Amino acid sequence: MKITCEDRDKIFADGTPAEWAALEAHSANCAACAGEIRAWKELSVSANELRDYSDTPTLWPRIEQALVAEAHTKKRRADRWGLLSFGMGSLGWQTAAAAALVVILTVSTIWIYVHRTPPGPVDQSLLKNPALAEVELTQAAYEQAIDKLSAEAKPQLENPATPLQASYREKLQVLDSAISDLRAQAGMNPSNAHLRRQLLAMYQEKQQTLEEILEAKR
Amino acid sequence: MGTMGLALPWETRISCVPREREKRVEPSEDLTGSPSQTVGSASATVTTSEDAEIAARCRAGDLGGYERLYALHGSRMKNVARNLLGNPIDAEDAVQETFLKVQRSIAGFRGQSSFVTWTYRILINTCYDARRSRMRKKEVANDDSEESPRPEPRAPDAHPSLRMALERALAGLTKHQRDVFLLYEVEGFHHAEIAGMLEITETASKNTLFQAKKNLRQVLEPPRSNSSAGAR
Repeated sequence: MKITCEDRDKIFADGTPAEWAALEAHSANCAACAGEIRAWKELSVSANELRDYSDTPTLWPRIEQALVAEAHTKKRRADRWGLLSFGMGSLGWQTAAAAALVVILTVSTIWIYVHRTPPGPVDQSLLKNPALAEVELTQAAYEQAIDKLSAEAKPQLENPATPLQASYREKLQVLDSAISDLRAQAGMNPSNAHLRRQLLAMYQEKQQTLEEILEAKR
Repeated sequence: MGTMGLALPWETRISCVPREREKRVEPSEDLTGSPSQTVGSASATVTTSEDAEIAARCRAGDLGGYERLYALHGSRMKNVARNLLGNPIDAEDAVQETFLKVQRSIAGFRGQSSFVTWTYRILINTCYDARRSRMRKKEVANDDSEESPRPEPRAPDAHPSLRMALERALAGLTKHQRDVFLLYEVEGFHHAEIAGMLEITETASKNTLFQAKKNLRQVLEPPRSNSSAGAR
């Protein structure tokens, strides 16, 4: 292998054994290269001065202790995590059941909301205008019918011949009083469905009582 | 360049016998070959199978694996850390921290490099971290003393003036040059191993070493006489 002084740096940087051997051979006749090789190697030898592999007897016990402590910490953390995982696992079916219940309730609520039937006026706490007009109409019809029946039953009521008729008269007085109160309240709060229902029930009761009086007469 | 040797006070003690080191750079550096290949061949010989065995034991949480790693590499790890950090106390702390980091992250070791190389990479990074931390502390304390490793007393048989001269010269190198020089020339690692540790290419490791040695020679070389300058 033919080596020149120009090849020296390249061999120093990344020379193969063959190239090094060729450079050594070249340096036998080249003082410059011989000096360079020597100085180069001196650096490597001098690096030995920075090597101190003396033992430190306390170091491994210290490391071992730290490793054991770290392992224990890791294990404790893992155990805690494992316990938590187990807890979560054992609670799994309850969690699933709760989730299913929530889903069922949600779906049911949505279904009921979507498929709900429009509530009648009786179910409403407040009557809308069309419902109110309808109630007023029904009430007027009841009043008319009751007036007719009252007119027919008037003789029996004014002079009751039997204790039964006397009790009918008392009942009608109580009903009239109740109807009077309810009408007064409904007048102040005409949209109150509850009052209207009670008033309707009173009218029905009065109508029925009058019919019973007339029936007894026959 | 002149033919004179380096202006080192120990020059007379240095043998001119060619070192084995130059032969170390040959193709035998490949780490991925046969099972009989060695890892960290300079001081502690570890076959790749033993390397894998240590890794497996450490992964299994076997303290014996760490003990074996320490037995094979503890002294050298400490020396690497001492040369990077400049004092033995910080070096021991760095070695301990390295073992803890290995234990914490062994599950993530994929075997892309040898276990030993991976461990040294952690060590070097730990030393970098320690160095940065120390510099930050110095900044906070408004201490504008040297940023390079502080020389500390070493082995009793070491040549103090030689060591100090070399340490001063090393302080003038770049971080990478200093690291490659220490790992190759002092610790005897192959370029392939250094490449793995410093996460650079093997070629970069060789070039960095060449530049480091050239720079060291410039610092350590005595002024040339006219006669020697004209010798070429």
